[in-house]
Amino acid sequence: MNENETILVIDDELQIRRLLEITLSASGYKIVQSATGKEGLVDAATLHPSVIILDLGLPDIDGHEILKKLREWYTKPVIVLSVRDSEKDIVSALDNGANDYLTKPFRSGELLARIRAALRSATEKSESSILVFDSLSIDLQNHTARKNDEILKLTSTEFMLLSLLAKNQGRVLTHQYILKEIWGYGYTEQTQYLRVFVAQLRKKIEDNPSKPKLLITVSGIGYRFES
Amino acid sequence: MQNSSNQSYLFKIWRSAVIPYLLVVFIVFFITLICLPLANTERYYLVSYLLLFALFIMATLFRLGPVLLAATLSSLAWNFFFIPPHNTFHIEKTDDILMFVLFFSIAMLNGVLTTRIRRQEQLARDRELRTKVLFQLTQQLSKAGSIDEVLKIAVEEINAQFGFTVFFILQDGNNILFQTGRLQKEKKLNTDEYNIAEWCFKNRTEAGAFTTNRSDLEYTFYPMPGTKVNPGVLATKQEKPVAGENRTFWLTFITQISNAIEREFLAEMATKARFLDESDRLYKTLFNSISHEFRIPVATIMGASDSLLSSPHPANIQSELHNEIFTASVRLNRLIENLLNMSRLESGQLSVSLDWCDINDLFNKVLEDLSGELEPFKVKVTIPENMPLVKIDFGLMEQVLYNLLFNATQYSAPLTKIELSSAHQNDELVIEIADRGTGFPDSTIEKVFTKFYRVDGTKTGGLGLGLSIVKGFVEAHSGIITVENRKTAGARFIIRIPTEKPDIKNLFLDNE
Repeated sequence: MNENETILVIDDELQIRRLLEITLSASGYKIVQSATGKEGLVDAATLHPSVIILDLGLPDIDGHEILKKLREWYTKPVIVLSVRDSEKDIVSALDNGANDYLTKPFRSGELLARIRAALRSATEKSESSILVFDSLSIDLQNHTARKNDEILKLTSTEFMLLSLLAKNQGRVLTHQYILKEIWGYGYTEQTQYLRVFVAQLRKKIEDNPSKPKLLITVSGIGYRFES
Repeated sequence: MQNSSNQSYLFKIWRSAVIPYLLVVFIVFFITLICLPLANTERYYLVSYLLLFALFIMATLFRLGPVLLAATLSSLAWNFFFIPPHNTFHIEKTDDILMFVLFFSIAMLNGVLTTRIRRQEQLARDRELRTKVLFQLTQQLSKAGSIDEVLKIAVEEINAQFGFTVFFILQDGNNILFQTGRLQKEKKLNTDEYNIAEWCFKNRTEAGAFTTNRSDLEYTFYPMPGTKVNPGVLATKQEKPVAGENRTFWLTFITQISNAIEREFLAEMATKARFLDESDRLYKTLFNSISHEFRIPVATIMGASDSLLSSPHPANIQSELHNEIFTASVRLNRLIENLLNMSRLESGQLSVSLDWCDINDLFNKVLEDLSGELEPFKVKVTIPENMPLVKIDFGLMEQVLYNLLFNATQYSAPLTKIELSSAHQNDELVIEIADRGTGFPDSTIEKVFTKFYRVDGTKTGGLGLGLSIVKGFVEAHSGIITVENRKTAGARFIIRIPTEKPDIKNLFLDNE
């Protein structure tokens, strides 16, 4: 089912590349490997892969630089897969345009799920103005959301937050990004508002607000809307 | 010993040297004058007694020189004025000759003896004074708590007692003075002077000014004696060499100071040795536990994967082996995670980035990460309805709760209850984790947060780092963590972290 999807893996560790080759091929993806940053940039330009899996610690070019260069023209999902687990690295990668961030060691199942989510968000983006997640549907045009076919009573900010996250489904949005998008530049440090709204929103959209399935917290980084 | 200006010094010498002679002459002259009326009587012997008595008194007051002068003058005066024939030095009677000789001898002997006694007395007094000074020095030095204090006292005392300007060049602990040694008050010596100081230190011999080795130098270098380590060299700037009784006193003085410095030196070395010993022990513990703890999961992974590779297994065995590999790798990852966290704590590079955080989020994240381990237990989570947001470092607190909950799963029996709760009391975030496990032996409960400490007899599977990381991370939040055994069974950890309540202006909230 994934036969048309090519995934470019840019990683200098042979063992990791081999492992990705095996697991991803088994799921039907076509894999291209690059061991250096330069090679990776060339491969990305010539092959136009559907997803790029990028390591940050490459021998020739720093991963953050590659990400910036890629984002000058490459619009499809980039998933960072790195041993670097500091919040600074993660936020910086996401700010530079990474769709998602996984730290090594990782679980293959998790990686596959993230790839699927990234691919889906890339294809669904342009399609309809109604986003559907299980029992939740969001009508972007009419500013309404339904849960189990019942219209949810959402405040305008709650709806903005929900639609922002839902439109970027599968992608990690940093606190700063969300705050900037909804409240504006002056509020990027005011995470307390975001927390309050997320808690309110969860009560309305989640089946069990204390065990969210849709609006997922990414520790210390931001939120991701699970698709 | 006192340093005085030139003028008053000369005056003192003049006074101490000349005045006694003048006094002596005056006294003899005065007595002679008073007694002159007796010159022509038969009682002229009386005058000799009087002069002899005066001589006794003078001998106790003056040094040998004036006393001898007094004796000579007295005998001559007696002879000249009182022994017939008068006003000549001629003596007629044999009795008188005998009397004169006797008188002179007694006067001389008396003068010499008294002076000797007086000198003895002076010496004793000097000795007493020195002993007192040394005693005071020792007392002062014993109060000093560091090398710097010892040096400060030493410089002051030497200046007060000897009038020397001194400084110390101490060795660095490896018997080296030059460059690495401590030079008091960063006084700069030139290389030449340093070499001589080094020579003095190595050869335990005085050098520099007033010595046979490089007397052209400005400083005199004295080696500082020690019983186990020689602390270094004392450099002085003095105007004349220290000689005689004073020299012994001076050397004793140096020895006292030297001993005090040596004492501080040894104390410093002992502290250093203890520190090294401690880190050596930690190093060994770390390596012992790493080699053990890491080998087990690695052995599992190797064994299981080798088995999968070498022989065909039925599907259920295969999946069991895969499961083993996965569990072992998770365990390995946990070990690495803990070691990394420990090294972040130890290196002091732990940065705490506080941000508003929903306790629900925190608890969920940890419970999800540990969902497998928590499966066999009854987990009870309590978060008050009105729990405010708290300002913490999400990542660090996640690790804290992870370690505590993981511990609870390791030491509790299946189906028992593990409780996780939060509260906001008196501007503090309070998190409690309680289990119904084995708890801690009362005698060791104090030590559970100590690095590499593991309660005796606990099952393998840890480095003994988990709880010390927990403590470190909580303290990085300016918080405290306590542990207690619960009355019935199990342990309870209580974390208290100061946190403000978020300032949420209604302005930004919607009007619903």
